[in-house]
Amino acid sequence: MILDGGLGDGEDTRDAGRMTGEALQHAGYQVEKLSLRDIDIAPCLGCFGCWVKTPGVCVIDDVGRDVACRIARSDLVVYLTPLTFGGYSSELKKVLDRSIPNILPFFRWIKREIHHVKRYARNPRLIGIGVCADGRADPDDEELFETLVRRNAINMHAPAHVACVVDAADDDDLRRARIERAVEKVAGS
Amino acid sequence: MIESNERILLLVGSPKGLENGSSSRLGRWVVDGLEGRGWLSESIHLHQAVVSEEGMGQLLAAIKRADVVLLAAPLYVDSLPAPVIRVLERIAAERRPEDVERVARFVTILNCGFVEPYQNETCQRLLRRFADRAGFEWVYGVSLGAAGQTPKRVRKALDIVIEALDLELLVSDEVRQLTAKPIIPSWLYVFGGNAMWKRQAKQNGTKAKLRARPCDS
Repeated sequence: MILDGGLGDGEDTRDAGRMTGEALQHAGYQVEKLSLRDIDIAPCLGCFGCWVKTPGVCVIDDVGRDVACRIARSDLVVYLTPLTFGGYSSELKKVLDRSIPNILPFFRWIKREIHHVKRYARNPRLIGIGVCADGRADPDDEELFETLVRRNAINMHAPAHVACVVDAADDDDLRRARIERAVEKVAGS
Repeated sequence: MIESNERILLLVGSPKGLENGSSSRLGRWVVDGLEGRGWLSESIHLHQAVVSEEGMGQLLAAIKRADVVLLAAPLYVDSLPAPVIRVLERIAAERRPEDVERVARFVTILNCGFVEPYQNETCQRLLRRFADRAGFEWVYGVSLGAAGQTPKRVRKALDIVIEALDLELLVSDEVRQLTAKPIIPSWLYVFGGNAMWKRQAKQNGTKAKLRARPCDS
């Protein structure tokens, strides 16, 4: 499942999305791509109803429920986003906010930190791909993006994860090589 | 009261709005403190502002008037709620640092549902990147755990921030010292938190279904 958080007309993530899909197909995956800018999903209400009122299902009855379930059923999820202050775009984040029904409210320790307990026995592996569309990503941006993906992997119980930043200005071969390396790192793990 | 004519803009980034929730309460603490020192204030709920061009226009105009912009928000999945990111994308698109005539100071208060305040730090770094790219002067990011509860030492930390903003001083390291440590032991937070979730489920008649796996079917 590729969650495409491209903004505007989606040009910013189009090439990286295509290359990621091809790399995943080459690794044996059936690939589904959601262009999130085309899907109307209401923002999370922060009500915790998905934990204590309708466990595992968001209280908002819209397509966000379906997307959260499709994430839970996937073997691997790609967070594809224009690099936005070193993190995710609003289009990608609207889905991630609505995916917390996929974990339990209960707390436990993971690596000496408090996190939520997993709801499902299996959880998808995670690839974060950040596209730097307006000039070169600086090392701080890359490091921050990697940190964010790693933190998300802990919270969402991803059994394996990798983060990859590509520059829109780089040629196709270089971008494809970086994405293929990221896919190889977690696709078969 | 001394009139200062300085102006703080409070941006509340929680779906709970300007009247309810931890983000609003924490932001109001700082705004009230500055109003007590003669400051003027405006408050905007970002989830409302972002849904209309009129709302965004008012927000951008309020930023131009402000000496200090304070963002108070909850941590959602290691980052900001999506509507808040949408607002930041719009602000950054409208403001190039080199074109900004009046550089407002930017301060944040984040609160997370875990007991460890440092779990907000990734998001604070994102906000600092935003401030740099949208022509603000980064001042400080206050990180709070335990859903933004405010025991005496946290209130003291916020008062230090108020004084620093008013006097245009650097925020002292005492704020970090006062806020960095969890407000209760983590074992107690886990024990009490898990009991709270069960209690809430019982009230909703869902205790037996709390671990349901609806996406397995």
